Amino acid sequence: MKGALSLIVKIWKHPQGRVGLLIAGVLVFCAIFAPLIAPYDPYDVTARAEKGLSPSWQHPLGTTISTGQDIFSMLIYGARVSLMVGLITGILTALIGAVMGICAGYVGGLCDTLVMRVVDVMLVIPTLPLTIVLTNLFGKSYFMIIFIFVIFGWTGLARVIRAQVLVLKNSNYVKAAELSGAGRWHIMMRHILPGVSHLLIMNTALSSAGIMVAEAGLSFLGLGDPTAISWGKMLADAQSGGALLFGHWWWIVAPGIGIFLSVFSFMRIGLALEEIFNPRMKRAGAMHRLFRTLNNTYIQKVFAEMDEAEREEAREAAKEKGGAAV
Amino acid sequence: MRNRLKLGALLLALLLLCTACATDYERRGDTSSTLYIGEVASSFPTSYMPWFSRDGVAPTISSMVYSTLLSYDEATDTYDPLLVKEWAYLDRAGNPLLTEDGKVDYDRLEKEYSVKGTSCIPIRFVLDENATWSDGEKVTVKDIYFTFDLAANQKLSNHAGALAWVNDLLHKYDTNTGKLRRQGIYTYDTGANEKGYPISEEEKDTVFYFEVNKVLGAITPLVSTVLVLPEHIYADLISFDCPINNTDPTPELAYAYQHPVGCGPWTLDREKTNGQEIVLNRRDNYHIKDENGGPLYKVDTLKFVLYQEINVAIYALKKGHIDVLDSSIAANYARLFEKEEDVFVASAPGLFTQCLVLNVNVPADQSTPARQQLKNPELRRAIALAIDQQALIDFVLDGNGQVAPAGLVLEGDLFAPDADIYAAPAEERLAEANRIMDTLYPEKDAAGYRLDQGKRLSYEILANPGMQDTVSYLQVLFQKIGVEVRYAASGNSPETTYLYGGNFDMTLQGVSLTPANVDIMFNSHFSNLNRSSNYGRLKNVEINKGIAAMRSTLNRNTKYDLVKNLEKMIALEYYKLPLYCQDVTSAARTDHFTGWVVEDGSNAFNMTSLSQLVKVEGR
Amino acid sequence: MNKGYVIKRILYTLFIFLIVTTLNFFIPRIGVDDPAERYYPPQGNMSDVEYNIIKDLTRKQYGFDVSTWQQYLRYLNNLLHGDLGTSLQAGSPKVVDLIADRLPWTLVLSVTNMFISVLFGMLYGTYAAWHRGKWADKLLMNASTVTTALPAFFLALLFSLYMGFEWEWFPAYTDPSLVSSFDWSLEAIGRVAKNAALPIIAMSIGGIVSYAQSTRNSVIAVSNEDYVVTARAKGLGTKTVMYKHVLRNALLPIVTSLGMSVSGLIGGAVVIEQIFNWNGMGTLFLTANNTNDYPLMMGIMLFLSGVALLGNLITDLCYSLLDPRVTVGGGRR
Repeated sequence: MKGALSLIVKIWKHPQGRVGLLIAGVLVFCAIFAPLIAPYDPYDVTARAEKGLSPSWQHPLGTTISTGQDIFSMLIYGARVSLMVGLITGILTALIGAVMGICAGYVGGLCDTLVMRVVDVMLVIPTLPLTIVLTNLFGKSYFMIIFIFVIFGWTGLARVIRAQVLVLKNSNYVKAAELSGAGRWHIMMRHILPGVSHLLIMNTALSSAGIMVAEAGLSFLGLGDPTAISWGKMLADAQSGGALLFGHWWWIVAPGIGIFLSVFSFMRIGLALEEIFNPRMKRAGAMHRLFRTLNNTYIQKVFAEMDEAEREEAREAAKEKGGAAV
Repeated sequence: MRNRLKLGALLLALLLLCTACATDYERRGDTSSTLYIGEVASSFPTSYMPWFSRDGVAPTISSMVYSTLLSYDEATDTYDPLLVKEWAYLDRAGNPLLTEDGKVDYDRLEKEYSVKGTSCIPIRFVLDENATWSDGEKVTVKDIYFTFDLAANQKLSNHAGALAWVNDLLHKYDTNTGKLRRQGIYTYDTGANEKGYPISEEEKDTVFYFEVNKVLGAITPLVSTVLVLPEHIYADLISFDCPINNTDPTPELAYAYQHPVGCGPWTLDREKTNGQEIVLNRRDNYHIKDENGGPLYKVDTLKFVLYQEINVAIYALKKGHIDVLDSSIAANYARLFEKEEDVFVASAPGLFTQCLVLNVNVPADQSTPARQQLKNPELRRAIALAIDQQALIDFVLDGNGQVAPAGLVLEGDLFAPDADIYAAPAEERLAEANRIMDTLYPEKDAAGYRLDQGKRLSYEILANPGMQDTVSYLQVLFQKIGVEVRYAASGNSPETTYLYGGNFDMTLQGVSLTPANVDIMFNSHFSNLNRSSNYGRLKNVEINKGIAAMRSTLNRNTKYDLVKNLEKMIALEYYKLPLYCQDVTSAARTDHFTGWVVEDGSNAFNMTSLSQLVKVEGR
Repeated sequence: MNKGYVIKRILYTLFIFLIVTTLNFFIPRIGVDDPAERYYPPQGNMSDVEYNIIKDLTRKQYGFDVSTWQQYLRYLNNLLHGDLGTSLQAGSPKVVDLIADRLPWTLVLSVTNMFISVLFGMLYGTYAAWHRGKWADKLLMNASTVTTALPAFFLALLFSLYMGFEWEWFPAYTDPSLVSSFDWSLEAIGRVAKNAALPIIAMSIGGIVSYAQSTRNSVIAVSNEDYVVTARAKGLGTKTVMYKHVLRNALLPIVTSLGMSVSGLIGGAVVIEQIFNWNGMGTLFLTANNTNDYPLMMGIMLFLSGVALLGNLITDLCYSLLDPRVTVGGGRR
């Protein structure tokens, strides 16, 4: 706990991290206290106003064309879904990815091969069509979306962690612990895990950001819970409700800015964490690329970047042995 | 390398310039007598075999390219000639059962066939000798025999015949062997004279007889829904190995599907038709003309344009890329067209009643305590009384709807005013509902919802996302009697997933009961237990008896009375509770064609409009 | 290139494809008692006896009358003959035919997008790397943050609203007759370009920034490598150093990215296609989903997985071509 608090203080001191923390704080506040902040209750059917109103003092962002709900209130409630999906998925991905990565890296052998084969299969199946198929078969809900994100998301992290574990495996203190007869589990928990913890925390922040964008996309396609209010779904409603036809740009811009702020804040926090953990930025060459190339196909990009990191490793190792390729 | 990159950039700029010289949309330049119709669907059919086409635009196209024997006019309860120009029920001596003014003599019909020993009713039809197929061949009784024979032969049609309702035609095949068990269609060449149905040599191509079940409702689906197929095209292509309903047809059969030859007023223009557009040309040798001897429909060509989304189609209408939208639009879109002079927006009362369906008879494997409670008719009555239709209409539909009666049959000959059992003012009904609930479930929890043995009364309403607002308002209404309802998404195929198996608490369903379909629809909604519209599995012996009696009576007045009686019985079941009857709002442009007619339940694009459209000169 | 490596990779790819095929076969059957349930017509007025016969006929028609294992073998056999299944649409078109119709249109968007992204991305990236710290570089960093945080479909909606509906610079939605009236004439090509402009612009903004960022980082990273410093020390001109040494080696991660994004080429544009009503694979998949056309949906999924696998395989082989250290010394695993 103390470690967590000191981490937050360090992020606050970092200029970009401060911005991220502020915005994230506002969003979390909105999500938790939505019923208090929002001027109208979007779920209350009797409190609807006239449909398709333009922004005014009573309705800062106007009302929807299809149902007459207040858009500003919906915006505030929408924070709940985005943050919840992003954080839960991020944390679960981190957990599973860590476990898989550490096992594969440390235990090696069959476990390693098995995990890597599973990763290969996962990477090939296209996620968006699979999500559409599974929500068709098993019903549309955020649980299903989180489930699919976690199932596909742990692969990238597992590879990264595995690479790091391979390095740690050969470090002195791990070898010493092995020699002194410590059990595998003990070593993994006490020695390896702290070594990759920085990677984990950073990845949670960054992947949460990526997940929020992906969730917006899935909600936009209508794959989330139809009764929940989420920013992606607001965009979908705007499109099908005729915002484009009527020219109600505020209905489109508002949820977009919501998505932008949530992703931006987490990315800033991730960037701050990265610089805190790696002040020398030597190994962060690869991390930098990881961060910069986050976009909707981030899983594949992570894979590519981590391979690049391995190659760099191999190159350095080869250089040490005395052969330099040009 | 940089030069190469620069070259690439230049090429791109060139392509962008190309975009500037692309031509404008087709519609504005087209001054021919072509009507552009916008269709909102996921895809257009690639083949036009009329019996399979149930979704999207396919039934519309099929009904225009092909024809049925007669068309049923609901308003006057008469059958207008299409392929058949005269027809009559026959009495046992073979004389037509017609009154002096040529109408069906239902009284004598009843007297003739209520007698024991009669197993069927014969009907004599005379084809219009001018009826032709689009390839020039005449329509003859061979085509009629082929069509109805195929529909009755499940083995040869590979159950496509199940989609053509010929159950009441007493022409039956053994489904396992494919052999004819009982003949019910008689033409000159298939033993009419031998059976006692006289057909002379001159009439052999135009006269045929049907033997139908002794029910009044036998004839409507037979003559007004079965589309007639050309024998000279399909007879050689079909066999037991290659039935007509075929996912892997032979090339010749596939060709026949894609190049439909029909006897309707339009033909499919195969060259211009593709995945995004369907073009129909008016047939000039169509045998039915208007009063002045000119073509029945005034437009030369119909062009159906596919749009994947309603908003895009509305935009196209606004911009003038299409003339009419074959779909209803939400009432609040009328605002969009306020400033457009050339767009005409009209509202007409709808014919579908949106109902709340309760699962009254849940099967044992889907039973939950909540669903067991629904078996109590008093609870259902309270729920029914709590529905304030006018409030729903004002709130959810912004006033664009009508209140629907509890008997579910709208205004017309079959409407039974005394079936409207809860027409009292809303406050009275609510008070009565709460009285009932107080005797059933007096305990309430902190939020005001009633408790049944300590558990809150709570139900899920299965509906598609478009109905969320309705469900939300029902939440408010039912909260007033202490019942909680929640929205549950129905998914893409609710019927196979939940409804047929009885795995739901409540759901929303659109019901349309009209004189044309009472025979089939009452059964389907309130009696059938197997994969039918009777989602709640209502099993009421009295109602089943009533439906059987209604179907089998030969006296028209009795039949109507029985229907009205049935309406009262189903209202008292409190099974399908009417919510509202939504108006149909539609829009059409008047800059190329004027004379749009909007009928009840239809949008601006309908057959009556087509026969009255006038082209605006020069545009 | 090591022959053994190539063969091993190909065999491995086939093995993974088999697993994916099996998954593809079983997913629609999970938890369903009677997979033919969806195909039965309504009972209408038929008696139960008649209806059972109809159900048998339906099962036979759609191939459900044999055991699951036999259905699976039949499925694999069909795959070997290039048959991905038959769609449930009226007229029973083959899945491969539907895909073949729509695929070129999706490729129009994706390939043009990739081309523009790589082209302008690399131009901008090298420029930014060369002028590190100046405004171009700073702009790139900020743009990178913004485009990552803003989903592409949001930009697409904005462009659609303004450039399409309000100002009418481009058609707001795709002309429905675009596909059918295409006849390779200059006018038709111009019309396609005009309709494709908005989707491509929306998609490529993110792509340009992303490739620019990758290029910039690669260039900077490689510029610090020994051999480049050596070359510059040797007195070679900036341009030569730049293009002969730096860029070629910096291309490696770009190649990887390109390879990885092959499958994204087709699947990634789903949302954009839906917004602009573009008749490509994305909208085909969405309509299949809306009409519960399972053969079509699973056929497309299998196709996309196959393409992704192929993309991976080709990338690996190309990579091993470009960078001999991969097979010789370092090894991949």
